Amino acid sequence: MDWVFLSELAINGALTGLLYSLFAIGLVLIYKASSVPNLAQGGLTMVGAYVVLALARDVGLPLWLAIPLAAVVMFGLGFGIERVALRRLAGRPVVMILMLTLGLDIFLRGTTLAIWGGTSRSMELGVSYDPLFFDDIFISRIHLVGAGVALALFVAFMLFFRTRTGIKLRAIADDYMASWSVGISVERGVGLSWALASVVAVAAGVIWGEIQGVDQALSLLLLKGLTVAVLGGLDSILGAVIAGIILGVVENVVSDFLDPLVGGGSRELIVAAVLILTVMIRPHGLFGRHDIERV
Amino acid sequence: MQEKVEAQNILSMNSVEVLYDNVILAIKGVSVQVPKGEMIALLGSNGAGKSTTLKAISGLLKAERGRISRGEITFQGVDITEALAQERVEMGICHVIEGRRVFEHLTPDENLTAAAPRGMSRSTLNAEKDKIYGYFPRLAERKSSQAGYLSGGEQQMLAIGRALVTQPKLLMLDEPSLGLAPFLVEEIFGILQKINKDEGLSVLLVEQNALAALEIVSQGYLIENGRVVMHGTAEALKSNSDIQEFYLGGGETDFHNVKHYSRRKRWLS
Amino acid sequence: MFYRLSGVHHANYVSDSRIFKVPADRNLTAFIFLIGLAAPFIIPSLYLNSYMLPWLIWTAAALGLNLVTGWAGQLHLGYAAVMAVGAYSSIHAARFGVPWEFALIIGGLTSSVIGSLFAFAALRVKGLYLALTTLAMQFVMDWVLTHSPAISGGSHASLQSPTLALLGQEITTDTGFYYVAFGWCVLVTIFMLNLKRTGLGRALVAVREKDFAAAILGVNSFYYKILAFATSSFIAGVSGALLVATFFFLAAPEQFSVAVSIQVLAMVIVGGLGSIIGSYFGVALILLVPGIVNGLVVTLSDGLGMQIDVETLAHIPNAVYGALIVIILLIEPLGLGKLYGNIRDYLMVWPFDQFKK
Ligand SMILES: Nc1ncnc2c1ncn2[C@@H]1O[C@H](COP(=O)(O)OP(=O)(O)OP(=O)(O)O)[C@@H](O)[C@H]1O
Ligand SMILES: [Mg+2]
Repeated sequence: MDWVFLSELAINGALTGLLYSLFAIGLVLIYKASSVPNLAQGGLTMVGAYVVLALARDVGLPLWLAIPLAAVVMFGLGFGIERVALRRLAGRPVVMILMLTLGLDIFLRGTTLAIWGGTSRSMELGVSYDPLFFDDIFISRIHLVGAGVALALFVAFMLFFRTRTGIKLRAIADDYMASWSVGISVERGVGLSWALASVVAVAAGVIWGEIQGVDQALSLLLLKGLTVAVLGGLDSILGAVIAGIILGVVENVVSDFLDPLVGGGSRELIVAAVLILTVMIRPHGLFGRHDIERV
Repeated sequence: MQEKVEAQNILSMNSVEVLYDNVILAIKGVSVQVPKGEMIALLGSNGAGKSTTLKAISGLLKAERGRISRGEITFQGVDITEALAQERVEMGICHVIEGRRVFEHLTPDENLTAAAPRGMSRSTLNAEKDKIYGYFPRLAERKSSQAGYLSGGEQQMLAIGRALVTQPKLLMLDEPSLGLAPFLVEEIFGILQKINKDEGLSVLLVEQNALAALEIVSQGYLIENGRVVMHGTAEALKSNSDIQEFYLGGGETDFHNVKHYSRRKRWLS
Repeated sequence: MFYRLSGVHHANYVSDSRIFKVPADRNLTAFIFLIGLAAPFIIPSLYLNSYMLPWLIWTAAALGLNLVTGWAGQLHLGYAAVMAVGAYSSIHAARFGVPWEFALIIGGLTSSVIGSLFAFAALRVKGLYLALTTLAMQFVMDWVLTHSPAISGGSHASLQSPTLALLGQEITTDTGFYYVAFGWCVLVTIFMLNLKRTGLGRALVAVREKDFAAAILGVNSFYYKILAFATSSFIAGVSGALLVATFFFLAAPEQFSVAVSIQVLAMVIVGGLGSIIGSYFGVALILLVPGIVNGLVVTLSDGLGMQIDVETLAHIPNAVYGALIVIILLIEPLGLGKLYGNIRDYLMVWPFDQFKK
């Protein structure tokens, strides 16, 4: 067994995994604050990346200005989505909410591509492509940057959910009716969670856009993001981070064994398998809230 | 004279009709007055429309696709028939909804924080919390365990405490005694009475447990089939033979008389 | 006006369990059926082939999904994968020399077997988690399909369908294909209409409303869930096979991808969960409107002398498709079937006040 190689796989897997967490944090935010599974996060991420590029290339702003500005735009978009769409379906069965977010995803993707076209564009953050070396282990710089962003967001949101506003958001997720009864504005809370998730989408869009180019494929992160979110427990931000690392390592190491056997491309299979196994064995994930049975 | 009465009533609800889903008429012209600083009970059997009445007052109807189709509600002289739930809480109406719905995954302390009005300073919030823990010492003991795992009585206390954080002028409680042991009901009602005395808080109490409720309130309304069928002081209601028979469990329980119920329930025309 | 009724008032059980509770509905259905029969003589063959035929087959497929999602209440995001199983097994069977009648049944049965795997997921979880599991299963099936050349047909991953032949008759004309699709859709519709009235239909609804309560009432939800998945998968399998045999002629994995699963679910939900007539509307809307809007945009831009980017044009239908889902859900979460019902109820007693049930 080649330990150096294996640890390289594991370390790079963990870093990639943190980038999945970066995506999944958006999903978790919305679920934690409204119990809505947001299947439009892929579409949002794509829009986030395109908006950054539009500001940087088409308007000509420097990236350091374009990214925060895009975050502001997306913050507004998130609020808008709640206002226009989610508010009307609050309290409806989960099928309809799932379908709504799926429809939103299709709409966001279609509109983005209709406006900016489907050819892949590059982000050009200016992070060097030369890998870093630790002993014999290669590490990509952009992955390190992305992992750093994911961890920073993790800390920020952990703190946020302890603030009064954060507590109110968690209260909304627990019980809409009880929240209304004590004067919490459920609408504003859900809107805020979508707005924050849209900002996370900008972060994920920028990092992933740098790694794999800005195009359709960004929205395909949804499956991995969902897997990470479910494995972590859907409403746990800590869970999303840990599950991201786990998924990244498992995917990297297992696909290394499996690929030669099946002729490549086993990553997607592994992710789907992890998702199925999690739901079957431990639906509330590693750190998810249990639904408390009341007698 | 009329105006003077108005001024004394913190809440006045005049022939209110409520429709659910635009078709189901749940209450049909209910009028209820809550005098300032008093405790009032709404009594009635299952499905009579008690909860609907409270929801009409607190504005929670909208969440269940219901609406007020006739009548008006005024609170401290202001018409609130069209106000949002959130605005009504800000004005001082707080509704403890049926079924002890605490925020299960939050701690009791966080439950209280969640209800803090916007702009309440940290020190006021802490003072409020201390006061509530003073009323309900059991909550203080368990303030950082998960609320979903509290006992039924503790959850009810938490629900009431959570409502108090909003600094209400009118507190409405929907069946707080549901499923609680008698001594707990007594404890909770005792605390309600104390809060009512100490702070002059007006209380509108919905109860199935008429016996316990009539002990602590000054007046009661009896609702049947979406209509107020009787209104009087607690004393008068307690001594009314029909109430005694149907709600207080007094009188004969002889089953030969069961078939006379429909005849004896005089108010049901 | 058309209905000449004051409302629907049942005087006995038999009348309540009729398929058509209002005579006018039966007449309307008969009329539409006749139009369906006459369609090849009325509608130009281009439209027949590119609009009517896929509409009918997708409706049959959507009805199958409606059975499991609308009636039994089990979310299913892997329906396209089940259709793929049916399509591929039928075509392989037909290529092997099995007569098409049997090949279709083989396809349906294989789908049933594989589709029942989804039921096992449904036994453990429901709602969101079931949706996610079935979604993951769709990915697994996709993967297997694209990674096994033996199934998907060699390196190009496309499989030629042999000429369809039913009852000893080779079917090669557009009219022929149309009648096959029409026949299948009618068959599925009749099945669904009748299912609604049987104990099975009611048991499925009981399972949807409350697993636990259904169990207490003596409805074995385990058995009914499997039955619902198996039946719906059979419909999916045959529909998938017919889709390839009469429309695509060449089976390829993309025809049954996740996006397609989402599309069928969208058809069912936009049409209205549990509504049969709704599924017809839902499929028509999702299948046809994006194209129509695109056509309009082209005409408009030509008329105004504007140049619209080819790429933009290529993506407009998708944006419209997504927007349609969102808009319909916002207007009426119970879908087009419910909207139709409202209009019908209104007309039923027109010019009098609203219909009261
Ligand atoms: N959300 C709703 N949608 C439709 N109808 C409703 C709704 N809520 C209540 N109703 C109907 O309105 C009527 C009054 O209900 P309400 O809940 O006010 O009764 P209640 O007096 O509180 O009864 P209980 O003592 O059982 O709590 C009932 O007939 C009920 O069926
Ligand atoms: Mg009630």
